[in-house]
Amino acid sequence: MQLAVNIIVLSAIYALIACGYVLIYRVSRVLNLAHGELMMLGAYLLLATASSFGGHPVIAIGAAIGLSLLVGVMVYLFLMRKMTGEMVLAAVLTTVALGILLRGLMVLIWSAQQQYPGQALGAANPALVLPGGGRISTFAALLVVTTVLVYAGLFVFLRFGRWGVRMRAAGQNPLLAAQRGINLHAVYALAWGLSTLTGSLAGMLIALDSGLTNTMVVIGLKAFPAALVGGLDSLAGALIGALIIGAAEVLSIQYIDPLLSDVVPFLVLIVMLVLRPWGLLGTREELDRV
Amino acid sequence: MRPSFVIAAALAAFASPALAQDAYVVGITAALTGPPASTYAPAIEALRIYLDRVNAAGGVNGKKITLVIQDDSAEPSKAAANAKKLLTQDNAVLMINASLSSTYAPVVNEAKNAGVPLLFAASVCPKDVYPPAAEGQFCTTAFASTFDSRAALSFIKETAKEPVKIGFSAMAIPLSRGEIDFAESQAPALGMTAVDKEIIPPPTADYTPFATKIKDAGANWVFSWAPWVTQVRTFEALRRLGWTGDYLTWAHLEAEGELKRIKDDRLFVIGANSLFDDNLPIQKDIADAAKAAGAKYPPEQMTEGWVAGMVIEAALKGAGWPATSAKVQASMVNLKVDLKGLRGGPIEWTKENHFRTKQYYRVYRWDGAKTAVMKDWFAYDVK
Repeated sequence: MQLAVNIIVLSAIYALIACGYVLIYRVSRVLNLAHGELMMLGAYLLLATASSFGGHPVIAIGAAIGLSLLVGVMVYLFLMRKMTGEMVLAAVLTTVALGILLRGLMVLIWSAQQQYPGQALGAANPALVLPGGGRISTFAALLVVTTVLVYAGLFVFLRFGRWGVRMRAAGQNPLLAAQRGINLHAVYALAWGLSTLTGSLAGMLIALDSGLTNTMVVIGLKAFPAALVGGLDSLAGALIGALIIGAAEVLSIQYIDPLLSDVVPFLVLIVMLVLRPWGLLGTREELDRV
Repeated sequence: MRPSFVIAAALAAFASPALAQDAYVVGITAALTGPPASTYAPAIEALRIYLDRVNAAGGVNGKKITLVIQDDSAEPSKAAANAKKLLTQDNAVLMINASLSSTYAPVVNEAKNAGVPLLFAASVCPKDVYPPAAEGQFCTTAFASTFDSRAALSFIKETAKEPVKIGFSAMAIPLSRGEIDFAESQAPALGMTAVDKEIIPPPTADYTPFATKIKDAGANWVFSWAPWVTQVRTFEALRRLGWTGDYLTWAHLEAEGELKRIKDDRLFVIGANSLFDDNLPIQKDIADAAKAAGAKYPPEQMTEGWVAGMVIEAALKGAGWPATSAKVQASMVNLKVDLKGLRGGPIEWTKENHFRTKQYYRVYRWDGAKTAVMKDWFAYDVK
């Protein structure tokens, strides 16, 4: 039972992070290599709001979520928008530079020491005992629930929401979408906002569960294989990819060697790239276009 | 990071050798940013505060100490470039490394070529500082490979009330793995059964899978010797799984604050530095100085840097003026510094021993109200 819980928690972490990669790639074909840093920034924003509104956790969390959305939109408006019309590679390199900048700024502002937003919020993190004897911490359980809600929300939004349909249209054919009167900049800004928001949610919940250091950025990178395995332009693929990577990692810890857990996600990724480079549910022509 | 700290680092990059002609120049390459920065940045801040105080009080032998700090982000290539710049442009008479062990080789090479003594402060002591010590390398850092495990296992043996089934936890970096491998090899001779060893990659999104294995193996004691993040997250994951055993881990800079946060009387930390709940006069000095300087890090994380500062001050005093790297080195091989209770004994260096002649340990835990000494100073001869 505990093994299943461990797989679900790790998969949920990777899935929540991976959907941010997918949202931006799907809409704008840009691979956001600053996603880990934006995720970590979300966690630090929670730390900042928790310090300011310590007695009011709901306000602190709400403010951090709002700020994360705003950061994503601002990144697009003040940085990525300038990349419109440039080579995709230039946009990707811009995200690399953004990541380096953010990493440095976060150390300057919040220092390098381990921080605990949960403590600042006054929130306890007791373990919950599940039927079957498995145990899960409160924030890990909340992370699993959040992942389910985020994916369900995104599926509904993209299928039925007005802006969701516009996002899909912009992703499929930006020229045609623009000719139909869709404001591409607004769509891209929304995609960056939502991507940063979902990544930040992951960052906040990980930080609430086990603390926050500047090494969190690497966890963002470890979720990248999940998005690639599932297919970079498929949300359902990201979910399945996260489950595969999470299961491979936990099972290798349990049955083979804990050290392998670091390389197993990338082994799975290599196998997938050899057999099906566009991922499980990715679109083949997208890859051809690249 | 304080603006003055950043400005000092930036100015240092453009400082001409002439700037430092009338002062002792000490060059530092440190991991102030990057993943392991939490281990090194507080120590360097403490060192800067200490030397600022020395300068404010008139300096050493009537001369100021100029501290030139370069960030290497724990990257060997940056550390090498820093060392070259500090030694050839800034003319440092003493080099300090406060970074990951992967940065050692290039910095040691540069220091050796320049004939400048190299002090490891807050970073792990390399083998070359133990007897018989290599020329020009010294270390003030509290933790010490193999000695730490011997002390830890000895404490567990004394404290355990039932047969010890011990689990180990390390981070997947050479130093931590090596120490835990050593501890695992020593356990049987002490009558302990080693039931599990988890080598955990840095960083890990969820420590529960590793903790699950330790718990399932039936460990009633766990010893972890790794960067703090691995030590504490493994412990907290174990507790969330309902594990009720005893956990002993190394008292890194973060230990005191973390014992107060976690409040678990079966979490023990073993270390070579006094914790601030001891309320020593020198600890009050550190706290006052940190407050006056507007330090970014809490005073209880400053002991390592403070110890390094005391040793550097003594070494420069012994070198006299005008200082050359040779004179500083000569002073360092015959040095004894009273640490005023920050450790169990003095830092004492000889021609053969650039570590310390005795390594003292103390064990603390949370006693329900404060961090309390669980086992008082005990020492091992370093020969």
